[in-house]
Amino acid sequence: MRLMRALGPGSVSSFLKIILDVVFVALWVGVGSVALLMLAALLLSFNPDLIGSITMNVGGGGELVKKWPVVIGGLFAAALYLAGVLVIVARLRQIFATLMAGDPFHPDNVSRLRVIGLALGGLELIRYAVWMASAWLLPGQTKVEPNFSLTAWFSVLVVFVLAEVFREGARLRREAELTI
Amino acid sequence: MPIRVQLDRVLLERRMSLTELADRVGVTIANLSILKTGKARAVRFSTLAALCKELDCQPGDLLSYEPGPLDDVLDDGDD
Repeated sequence: MRLMRALGPGSVSSFLKIILDVVFVALWVGVGSVALLMLAALLLSFNPDLIGSITMNVGGGGELVKKWPVVIGGLFAAALYLAGVLVIVARLRQIFATLMAGDPFHPDNVSRLRVIGLALGGLELIRYAVWMASAWLLPGQTKVEPNFSLTAWFSVLVVFVLAEVFREGARLRREAELTI
Repeated sequence: MPIRVQLDRVLLERRMSLTELADRVGVTIANLSILKTGKARAVRFSTLAALCKELDCQPGDLLSYEPGPLDDVLDDGDD
């Protein structure tokens, strides 16, 4: 294990940073796609004739017209979810940049970790909201299980505790900097 | 911080520049400046010993205590 360096350039951190960079770009592509789909959905909702022609093309008859609020709601939920994941990945990239620089206890990492904790909690809440909305809009057809994930809330708490650990690290780092 | 560092006075008495002292002691000028301006939080015994050796003085010649508030530099800006 000692052969593998965790911090600094050319270490495990820099490898993970590259993966995070790729995921970050992919997420932006995903956000762009969802934004385009939402734009298309909005345009179609202003022009019901187009919806008719699309449903004819799809061959589903009036299925899509009935499910229109579900489609828009689904896109909105996907956009929210992607935004949450994007916030987490963006903060993780910034944290890993400090790890690559060999400076893990950068004071900004405290707030970054807190934002990640909040985003994780937010994503979990979005999951519950999606389940409730789908149970309301599509009674009897919902495929999202209403399971309460203890693991998710446990991770949120762990991230918040880690943020405080980093705050202590940042304090010690500052003290070390001012020790001559 | 009620502890005052009298590095300026001792340097003047010895007619030595901060750069020269930094070279002799093996501490960066930036760190010596932190010490000189009273921004330092702590001084290592090894640094103090090196300073006393090069300046030919006692720790008491470099440090003095003046009653005053113990301003906690470390809490600035963090919370």
